[in-house]
Amino acid sequence: MLDFDGATKRFGSLTALDRCTFSARPGRLTGFLGPNGAGKTTAMRAVFGLVELDAGTVGWRGRPVGAADRARFGYMPEERGLYPQMRVRDQLVYLGQLCGRGAKDAGRSVDGWLERLGLAGRAGDRLDALSHGNQQRVQLIAALAGEPDLLVLDEPFSGLDPIAMDAMSGLLAELAAGGVTVLFSSHQLDLVEDLCQDVVIIERGRVVLAGELAGLRAKVPQRIVEIRYRGQAPDWSQMAWVTLVEAEDGRARLRVGRDTDPAAVLATVRDRAEVVSFAYQPPTLSELFRQAVAA
Amino acid sequence: MNGVRQGWLVARREMRERSRSRAFRVSLVLMVVTVAAALIVPALLRPGSGTRDVGLTSAAPPALAATIGAQAQAAGITARVLRYASLAAGEQATRQGRVDVLVAGAQRLEWPGKADQQLQAVVTGAVQLVTVRERAATAGLRPEAAAALLAPVPVTNVELGHVAGRSPGDETAVMVMTLVLFFGISLFGAMVLTGVLEEKASRVVEVLLARIPARTLLAGKITGIGLLGLAQIGVTALAALIAVAAVPSIHIPAVRGAVLAWAVVWFVLGYALYATVYGALGSLGSRAEDAQAVAGPVMIILPVAYFASFLMIAQPASAAARAISYFPLTAPMAMPGRIAMGGAAWWEPVIAAVLSLATTIGLVLLAGRIYTNAILHGGPRLSLHDAWRSATAPALSDTKAGTRTATTLRHSARATTGGRTTVKRPDPTSHRLLITVLTGVGVALGVAVAVLTSDVIIGVIAGAGFIAITIQMVKLWTGHSRPPVAHR
Repeated sequence: MLDFDGATKRFGSLTALDRCTFSARPGRLTGFLGPNGAGKTTAMRAVFGLVELDAGTVGWRGRPVGAADRARFGYMPEERGLYPQMRVRDQLVYLGQLCGRGAKDAGRSVDGWLERLGLAGRAGDRLDALSHGNQQRVQLIAALAGEPDLLVLDEPFSGLDPIAMDAMSGLLAELAAGGVTVLFSSHQLDLVEDLCQDVVIIERGRVVLAGELAGLRAKVPQRIVEIRYRGQAPDWSQMAWVTLVEAEDGRARLRVGRDTDPAAVLATVRDRAEVVSFAYQPPTLSELFRQAVAA
Repeated sequence: MNGVRQGWLVARREMRERSRSRAFRVSLVLMVVTVAAALIVPALLRPGSGTRDVGLTSAAPPALAATIGAQAQAAGITARVLRYASLAAGEQATRQGRVDVLVAGAQRLEWPGKADQQLQAVVTGAVQLVTVRERAATAGLRPEAAAALLAPVPVTNVELGHVAGRSPGDETAVMVMTLVLFFGISLFGAMVLTGVLEEKASRVVEVLLARIPARTLLAGKITGIGLLGLAQIGVTALAALIAVAAVPSIHIPAVRGAVLAWAVVWFVLGYALYATVYGALGSLGSRAEDAQAVAGPVMIILPVAYFASFLMIAQPASAAARAISYFPLTAPMAMPGRIAMGGAAWWEPVIAAVLSLATTIGLVLLAGRIYTNAILHGGPRLSLHDAWRSATAPALSDTKAGTRTATTLRHSARATTGGRTTVKRPDPTSHRLLITVLTGVGVALGVAVAVLTSDVIIGVIAGAGFIAITIQMVKLWTGHSRPPVAHR
């Protein structure tokens, strides 16, 4: 369990982290969300001591994070980078060794990951001889080379093609299922919604929403109704208890209160239009995010 | 996971990756060849070494052959006599270079080209000696009396050089040693500089620092490159010793185990000092192109230190030589020369080494702070002043320019100077004033040094060196050479 407790970091007059408190639990994927400049990277760096906090702590398994803990952490910075001229396997083993593992031990797990990610044939090549996608894979292995208990990934999905994204999602889910604590930041909210059990949303250095995603969605006092219909669009403004979110030809998204009876909504709409499909659900993560950040 | 093991891993990586590079191998071969050649080639070129072939025709007096041998021995060379039946055969052998000189008759020497003066003296002396003996015999002198009269007087030649007990050959050897030290310290120091810059530019540094402390990374890097340098300097010193031992005609007392051991020690001291500074300066830049700008002061200090040491080789006991051999920035290149030239008492290098070591420890503390503060800072090149005051903003990604992250950083970059921008970062006018003042101080210093040492050249060097270094320092400290966009 990774715990941020009142973490605060100021850069001169700018407060990058403002009493940040949240947790990432083992065996689960935690999505770390927020607009650009909200403080995500600063928070992730604080885990590794790359940023010295002005106040508060980052804890691991109930104690402040120490050097011995960090040996069991894996980190993929937003700014990707390895030694361009060093051979792939050499530098991954080196990074594994820096985590305190023996050369043979590190070599074994690096070979395993290279095999797993389809790079076994490139182990002896210089990094800069690899394609961009393969370099990204090597960067991921760099984070995994120490067989970490905690994995912190800054924008792991940026720059990946859809197939690589699926592979990355699968891998993260598998790692979490194996008991690893995974915290990653992303702007792809749909993907986070599909993948993560927990989310943390920060804005201007403050945590504005944190917890289990399903619970957070259920707790919101609004529900979203999505209707597809044929023919003339009904005059939504006549229905006082709905708020129109968006509408286009043959489709509308409405916001209603949590206590609204879906059957009553459907009945009302059917009086005015020929309904093709009807969905009633809690807001999506994107909507949660927009609300949380706008508040 | 302890720091020593991590530091050693870093050092080992540096050694392994760098010793694989062609540049390293070429420089190693180059150094060994240069040093060996500097010792061996002058010895081979020196007339007096090697055997000379002297051709005699039947016209030569019969006693000449033995006399040439004796005369040559007295002059310290070996002469071999070859006989030719006819003048034509002898001349042909001379033209083909099989003999160095042909005694064509009692009063005629023939050379393949220009006459070898030493050999000429030997052969001429022999010819005259034989002739004088013949005349003595004709005059009725007994052969024993004639021999006693004409016994060769051995004359010793001594090359004085500038220093008692040391020959010009020693001076050359010490010049080469000083050059190798300068080359080694510059080369491996610059490797630390570019290594730090490359790690920062390729962003691998963040991956590394998530695992090991910044100081450990810097210490490991300096150690690894240093050990590689030590191996190279050690091999070079060994090559010098072997060259001296293998070629018997070399007689250079300065090249011996104790002197070379000191040279290796001074390489380590000098490298440690300069590499520490280079490491800290490297962390200020963010791209490989920044190397020139951040390394400015050291790139001036090192050659000036070398040049001063070079000038002082010929006068190792002078006050100026003593001064620069104690001053920590010049000592690594000046002290080994003084030791080799026999100008330093045994305790002098010990004290200078302690001074140099103390300075390095101080610099390690300063450099560690600058490096730790600057290494994760992205964006424009940092000034020393900013790095010293820390409060580094998170590294910014260039791809996000215009987004809120960039805004954040602009805020924090301004925040770093804490609103005292106008005070801390001199505007062009006060900057120019400062440079004018420093130039004035430099000129005064140059004049003072010139008067004190009664040597205009040293005065000019001291003054110009001071001006160049301080101006570079001012630029680095204020970050004034940055393009104005950087802090806009």
